[in-house]
Amino acid sequence: MKVAGVGVITGWGRGVEALPADAAATAGGRYVVAIPRPAPPGDRLRRATRECLLGIGAVEELLQTVARPASELAGPGTALLYVTASAYGAANRAFLGARGGTLHFPYTAPSAVPAEVAIEYGLCGAYVNFIGGAAATVDALWYAGSLLERGACTQALVLAVETFAECADLYRRARWLAAGPLVEAAACALLRPGGRRAEYDPDPVGVDAARRRTGQTFACEPLIALAVAGGDPAAVAGRWRGRRAGLRRL
Amino acid sequence: MRDPVAIVAAGVVTPIGQDLDAFWSSLLTGGAGITRIERFPVADLGVGLGGEIKKLPPAPRRAPECRASRLLLAAASELRSGGGALLARDPARLAVVVGTALGGVAEGERALAGAAGLRTLAGALYDSPARNLARGLGARGPVLTVSTACASGATALGVGAELVREGVADVVVAGGYDVLCRFVMKGFDVLRALTRDAIRPFDRRRSGTLLGEGAGLVLLAREQDAAAGPRLGRLLGHASGSDGSHIAAPDPNGRGLEYSMRAALAEAGVAPTAIDFVSAHGTATPLNDRVETNVLKRVLGRRAHEIPVNSIKGYMGHTMGAAAALEAIMCLLAARHGVIPPTFGLEDPDPECDLDYVPRTPRAARPRIMLSTSAGFGGCNASLVLEGV
Repeated sequence: MKVAGVGVITGWGRGVEALPADAAATAGGRYVVAIPRPAPPGDRLRRATRECLLGIGAVEELLQTVARPASELAGPGTALLYVTASAYGAANRAFLGARGGTLHFPYTAPSAVPAEVAIEYGLCGAYVNFIGGAAATVDALWYAGSLLERGACTQALVLAVETFAECADLYRRARWLAAGPLVEAAACALLRPGGRRAEYDPDPVGVDAARRRTGQTFACEPLIALAVAGGDPAAVAGRWRGRRAGLRRL
Repeated sequence: MRDPVAIVAAGVVTPIGQDLDAFWSSLLTGGAGITRIERFPVADLGVGLGGEIKKLPPAPRRAPECRASRLLLAAASELRSGGGALLARDPARLAVVVGTALGGVAEGERALAGAAGLRTLAGALYDSPARNLARGLGARGPVLTVSTACASGATALGVGAELVREGVADVVVAGGYDVLCRFVMKGFDVLRALTRDAIRPFDRRRSGTLLGEGAGLVLLAREQDAAAGPRLGRLLGHASGSDGSHIAAPDPNGRGLEYSMRAALAEAGVAPTAIDFVSAHGTATPLNDRVETNVLKRVLGRRAHEIPVNSIKGYMGHTMGAAAALEAIMCLLAARHGVIPPTFGLEDPDPECDLDYVPRTPRAARPRIMLSTSAGFGGCNASLVLEGV
């Protein structure tokens, strides 16, 4: 498979150009580097959660990066593979705590983010959501490659979103899960057929390649690493809760 | 057409039976799995009924307290009877893929209410129960959690089969689970999606669904690796499809559902005319059952009215992430036993749902090629094509 483009937004700003050289130093003691809630035009997304809007924001960034119209994503030919380790946490907590009295229950599901992306861009093809951090993103990239290779789609959009602000107090108490800074991010890669076959690697080297610049972005990390590498790395790899996964000869 | 993947063994834990024999027996005798929920308060909810498992099977030593993990481990214990040798072969080549709509949210509910500590809160991460299952099995291969809402179980089987086909793993434990908790009961209550009556799929009087809990797992392996031992059947094809139309309601034209059915049949290399039996999503919501009927008519064509179609949600409620895995297992058992369980709760068929929905009594038939369909919030749809033995 070939990487046609990558769109990235993080707590540091838009694109990989906004990434600092050293996330921990630049965070200056902040445990969470958040992205403000985007303000989309129109009324359709008025009930959508922040993480849904970040997902759409990442796709907008991708489209600008590759200079293609949104209409090229529409239809059954584009597969949508979504990944997150934690972006459902805010909505789950809001609903559990009854703080989200106006939160529409379906937005508590992890599938809400890809649902809004699919609605926004008219995607109606193959569709899988993977739960986990960077290793799950590798799984999604592998699965996208499989779909492309067998002609189950003509292009695949692999999207990851991570938000932390609403659960920052919980993450702060659970530092054994992830040391900070936790940097909110949304990233997506558009993949097309061609190039070399990617081989699954259950024990890769070079995990956490982009971590120093990005901070902790969980599932977004391999996609940001793709963007940093100009979309054409020899390999991608990720680690989450002790599990490692990688792809060779991407 | 993709290579078939062998389904070597299966395990279930449901409100109507905690092993395959009890599950199957209840499907034929109409065992009632819907009861008043007792495990958490429901008095303030409009509907307090559900498919609650009143007593879990004994937990293995050092099993996690997490109910979702215990359901998975209990279902997995039954895999050993048919697939013990494969399970034990090479832990590094044993993978786990489970689907869930809710993950460990029940653990988050307990922890945030102060009833459990921070470690329990980590169990609220959606991928925690899969990790616990992998640990319990001693699996050291990939451990994946997928969440396509109520289609999750089918997605897990499809992704698991792909791991086998692509040689990422030799053996995969795949399936789905979900547990009843206040979080989801409150959510469906707010949506007014639960019925105060019984679940009546495809019935004129249907007025909504009820929720249930459970787990269903299968053991997947390459055909040649499974050749020497017993098997339940084969997974011929899987596809998922997005509606891209609404955050909660199914697309009125069933766009994603139709896509998933046609794509799964294409992957299986099976013509619609070859389908012998359909396990429908059949939630008994007014819109789902009508949409699903129309899609089945379009996909199955002229034979649509000749093919038996059932829904088993009336027995135990909609078990969410477990539903599609349990329904796939039901299909394989139907093929093995030569009987199709009826659509429990269907008494007065809706004229708009005019397919052969197997009302009232079990049907003697020995289906070989079967289609199982699922759908969920966010426009998630998935279909499986199965072959029984």
